[in-house]
Amino acid sequence: MSRAQFSPPADRAGFALRLLGATALVGVAATVWLGLFVTPPDRFMGNLVRLLYVHPPMAWVAFLAYGVAGLASLLYLWPRTTAPHFDRLAGASAEVGVVFTGLTLVSGSIWGRPTWGAWWVWDPLLTTTALLFVLYLGYLALRRVPGDFHVRARRSAIAALIAFVDVPIVYFSVDWWRSLHQAPTITAGRTYVHGSMAWTLLLGFVSFTLVYIWLMAHRYRLAKLNEFEDAEGLEVALAERRAEAVTG
Amino acid sequence: MNPYVEAGYAVILGTLGSYSVSLVARERAARRRVGAPGKAAGAADAAAGPDEPPSGASP
Repeated sequence: MSRAQFSPPADRAGFALRLLGATALVGVAATVWLGLFVTPPDRFMGNLVRLLYVHPPMAWVAFLAYGVAGLASLLYLWPRTTAPHFDRLAGASAEVGVVFTGLTLVSGSIWGRPTWGAWWVWDPLLTTTALLFVLYLGYLALRRVPGDFHVRARRSAIAALIAFVDVPIVYFSVDWWRSLHQAPTITAGRTYVHGSMAWTLLLGFVSFTLVYIWLMAHRYRLAKLNEFEDAEGLEVALAERRAEAVTG
Repeated sequence: MNPYVEAGYAVILGTLGSYSVSLVARERAARRRVGAPGKAAGAADAAAGPDEPPSGASP
C-alpha cells in the first residue's frame, strides 16, 4: 500500500472537538461546584452524598463505552459493514471505558470506607465490576499482540463481544444477588433524588458523557496516526530490502 | 468538607485531567512525526485515500 493511498489523517474535526472539550470542561466544573458547594448534605449520608454526583456517572460512562466498543466490534465482524474504522472505534472506546471503570472502582471504594467500614467487600456488584475491569484490560493487551491487521482486529472484536457479556451481569447483580450496594438511584419511571440533587446528578451524567466522547475522539485520532506511522515504517523497510536485492 | 469526598473528587479529576493531557500530547507528537497537516493545511488533505491500513500494521 502506497503513501498516496493511505495518507496521514488531517486535523479536520479540530474546531468541533475543541468546542466539545470546552463544553465538557464547563459541565464538569459546574458539576463539581454544585456537588461540593451548592447541594445540601443528605439526611442519612451527610456530606458523603456528594461523591454520588460523580460515582454513578463514572459507571454509566464505562457501560456506554463498552456498549460502543461492542457495537463497533459487531459491525467489524459483520461482513457487509467490516471496516478498519470500526476496529479503531472499538479500541478507543474500550480504553476510555477502562479508565472510567477504574475510577468507578476507586470512587466507590472511597465512598465504601466510611459507609460500610471497608475499602473493599466481595460484593456481587463490586466483584463483577472488578472482573469487567480485568476483562477489558485483557482486551487492550490482546489488541497489542502483533500480527496482520485484519487477523488482529477480528480476534479483538470477538474478545470485545465476550467481555461485553459481563456488562448486563454487573448492572443486574444488585437485583439477582443479595448485595451491600444500593439499587440504582434512578430507574425507569422512578427517581429517588429530587431538586438540586437530581439536577446535579443529571448534569454529572451529561458532562462526563461529553468527556467520554471527547476522549474517545482523541484516542481514535491517535490510533489512526499510529497506524499511518506503522505503514510508513513498513514501506521504508520494504524499500530497503528492494534496494538490497537490486544492488546485491 | 469530608476528606473522603475531597479524595474522591481529586482522584477522578486528577486521573481524567492527566489522561486528557497525555492523549493530546501523544496525538500532537504523532502528528509531528508523520508530518500530518494541521487545521491550516487540512483542506489540502481532504482528498485522502482509502481508510485502509496495510497488513502487519499494529494498533
